[in-house]
Amino acid sequence: MKKLIPITIIILIIFGLAYVMSGKIEPQENVRALGKFYLENSYFGDYSAKSPEVVTAILWDYRGVDTLFETSVFFLAIIGSLTLFRLNKKQEKEAKERIEKVEELTLVIKTVTKVIVAMILAVSASIALHGHLTPGGGFQGGSALAVAPLLIIAAYSKYALEKQGLDKTRALILRSIGLIGIALIALLPLTKGGFIMQNQPIFPWLGGSLIFYNFFEYLAVGAGFTAVFLLLAIPEKVFKKILGVGE
Amino acid sequence: MIAFIWSVIILTLIATIMISLYGISRRPNLVKKLIALTIFGDTANLLVVLLGYRLIYPVAPPILPSLSKEALQTFVKTAVDPLPQALVITAVVIGMAVNVLIAFAIVQIHRLYGTVDTRELSKKLIQVEGGEQ
Amino acid sequence: MIEIHLLMLLITVLIGLIFSYLAIIEKDLLKAIGYSAIQAIAYAIAFYILMAPDIVLAYIAIAVGIYSALLVFVVSKTGRYEVV
Repeated sequence: MKKLIPITIIILIIFGLAYVMSGKIEPQENVRALGKFYLENSYFGDYSAKSPEVVTAILWDYRGVDTLFETSVFFLAIIGSLTLFRLNKKQEKEAKERIEKVEELTLVIKTVTKVIVAMILAVSASIALHGHLTPGGGFQGGSALAVAPLLIIAAYSKYALEKQGLDKTRALILRSIGLIGIALIALLPLTKGGFIMQNQPIFPWLGGSLIFYNFFEYLAVGAGFTAVFLLLAIPEKVFKKILGVGE
Repeated sequence: MIAFIWSVIILTLIATIMISLYGISRRPNLVKKLIALTIFGDTANLLVVLLGYRLIYPVAPPILPSLSKEALQTFVKTAVDPLPQALVITAVVIGMAVNVLIAFAIVQIHRLYGTVDTRELSKKLIQVEGGEQ
Repeated sequence: MIEIHLLMLLITVLIGLIFSYLAIIEKDLLKAIGYSAIQAIAYAIAFYILMAPDIVLAYIAIAVGIYSALLVFVVSKTGRYEVV
């Protein structure tokens, strides 16, 4: 209880300051001009993105180039993590072999994990593919997708995941497919006389090119986090042996 | 009443930012610094979204409820600002990727030097530099 | 009516403040991760009250799931207790 004294003092100070401040601030009731422009134009209007989901329309159409470069920051961060934990081919094979037997979890946990992983895959795909109509999109779906391999690593082990065929190389290939897809969709309007990342009128249906961007970003984010966690699940002994430090 | 609660919310978030800054600067453990850093980032994101909120009663998320011109009129009157939300979504996911990079660097530091305490780490770094000269 | 929304928002934000304080002064790092996960749940509810369903979807998976798991991995590889 002794450690709660400072936080109580902080909260009391907050309430006192707020009492002084409250006469001076005006509650914000209107949306800013730029936000109003996006709200009016996302489906109707002259600068339409043909998407009722205004947030995804801003992400991949109005401020699409921003998101493209954010994706490249994501790419660099994941590449940096992989470089810190780099292994050559022989060491990678070594890391795939189970060095010590650990106690397995009970049957109940394993069965429940199987069901939940299937549900997570379905929900994340739904979040990503409906992203241009309802709340959701590539980033949200991808981060939900990354929870599935994490659950498998926790309930079974990383070796079970690799035995099923999802190892680090495959995850990196999936991620590259996602990134190449984003680049191709961004460059496609150039062949039809548009500019980079143009949406309307090159893709005339509901949502336009947003659904492609969402799908490829879904692959890139989900597979990128999966690769990182596969590396993180390698036991520390293997790395200490490779680096030649410690015990 | 509304202004009072609103200012309490804003001041609470600022206090959270202060506490996390204390954690980043004064705690010696690198993992604790990482925890404080993510709290800092989350609170900053919440403040940005707070800027786009509207203090009116029927307030709606920025998603068109139906594809008709009549719905658009009430939608523009009630929806919150979508621009901060669009910026925060990328910030959440990209911030996570950058935190993964920092976490990997911390694990690598522990492998090479055997500690994640900044005070011991600085002593060891001085030893390493002195040994090479 | 907006007062009820604001009061709910105030409660979630206060929970966030208290648990981030506990997370930062806690010496057992696993407990600190638990506290910061509670703070993340409170912020997710706050995002929902602020009418940002898109962010809630991304934030729940990132801050409660992936981030806690990442930190548990890091703590298991480095050491559980913080020496002050």
